[in-house]
Amino acid sequence: MQNIKQIFFIVFLTLVSSQIFAAASDQVKTDSDDFETTTVEEEIYDPLERLNRAIFSFNNAADKIILEPVAKGYKKLPSPIQSGISNFLSNLRMPLVVVNQLLQGQGKNAVESTGRFLVNSTAGVLGLIDVADRIGLEEKEEDFGQTLATYGVGDGFYVVLPLFGPSNVRDTTGMIMTMLTDPVNAYAVREDEGWLVPTRTGANAIDQRSKIIDEVNALRNNSLDYYAAVRSSYYQNRKAAINNTDDDVLTPLPLISIEFE
Amino acid sequence: MKFIKFVIIFFIFFYNVNIYANEASQWLKKEIDKILISYQNPDLPNENRFLMIEQTINNNFAGAGIAKFVSGKSWSSASKETKKEYIKLFKRHLALSIASLMQGYSNQEYRLTTSKFDEKNKVTLIDMEIYSDNSTIQVTWRVKQSKDRYFVIDLIVADISLVVTKRDEFNSMLKTVDYNLKELNNKLSQQNESSYNKIIN
Repeated sequence: MQNIKQIFFIVFLTLVSSQIFAAASDQVKTDSDDFETTTVEEEIYDPLERLNRAIFSFNNAADKIILEPVAKGYKKLPSPIQSGISNFLSNLRMPLVVVNQLLQGQGKNAVESTGRFLVNSTAGVLGLIDVADRIGLEEKEEDFGQTLATYGVGDGFYVVLPLFGPSNVRDTTGMIMTMLTDPVNAYAVREDEGWLVPTRTGANAIDQRSKIIDEVNALRNNSLDYYAAVRSSYYQNRKAAINNTDDDVLTPLPLISIEFE
Repeated sequence: MKFIKFVIIFFIFFYNVNIYANEASQWLKKEIDKILISYQNPDLPNENRFLMIEQTINNNFAGAGIAKFVSGKSWSSASKETKKEYIKLFKRHLALSIASLMQGYSNQEYRLTTSKFDEKNKVTLIDMEIYSDNSTIQVTWRVKQSKDRYFVIDLIVADISLVVTKRDEFNSMLKTVDYNLKELNNKLSQQNESSYNKIIN
């Protein structure tokens, strides 16, 4: 009898709690001067803002004149050709991804990425077909910028690199490390085929740009300050990549009042 | 017996939490489909399509709350009239931003994958995947319930929060006008006009 009472009590409490939830969300209130988020937002350190804005304008013009039209043309290629190029370029990045996963202590991911590289380079015809994905070996990107961050290296200040776009001191260092250690680039240079390096960089840029044509245009056409919007987007995206966390966990949750809708 | 009690509490608690998450998902799907219908009709003039989107967004986004959040510290010193004008302009800006994102829509399919209720913050997080030929875009909707209605309070596309980006962007602009919301309204009004012309033409 005592047990039945207890169960009734639990059920009653739970039914009441569901009403409490509904009521609680109604009671969410923020004061007029309360603009907090659930996690601390860091101010982006941008001491070179004036110079960065100048380079950003140059990059923006270069994008409009060259990269965007080329990326739009690339998008008109048959879908299997686009996927093939994208997969091939991604497969070339895999050896350094494995190195960075190992440096970050991600043993399981490193094994999976090695498996991806082996499967796609062989069964996937030199990486043109992503066979590995179909057998559950998902693509996970890691780079030297992320590795430095996991070793405690801070962002440093924000920089906009000519042609390469938004970055910061740490990620620029990581990018240089990638250029110096990439085995495919090293092989091309050793074989006197140095032209392959900028060709690959350009192909990567076109492939990546083709995937965000609408998003970039939406941001460009609707921003009060396009520079600040790109800077913010860059930092949010890198933060999520470094922490390898679900975006909903990491991104600050705005404590938004809805009582006066 | 203690274990059974724990299991019962655990089960019932998560059952309730899941009901909220599922209800929110169903509501969101209905609203997304309303927007998509306007894009599936090629005969609909761009002005009408935008009006449909604006109406859906005004009804379902916590536009005023987001506007207030985005304005940061300039809010408290602004007059009532300025705030009212700003909220109106911001709501249109939000609709234009989303309509602009939708311009590349070409019958891509989407799926609401998971939804969970964040008990601590009383927010439902709904994950969506949008499929195109060569890639999948991950989107997370943050939805809050108020007075038996749901409101979208943020949209996260590929790890980038729309609201946080807007706040950084507006803050950068506000710095140049000494955090004067009235000045910002002028700039916002011009930007809205330019964005609107791009969308309808």
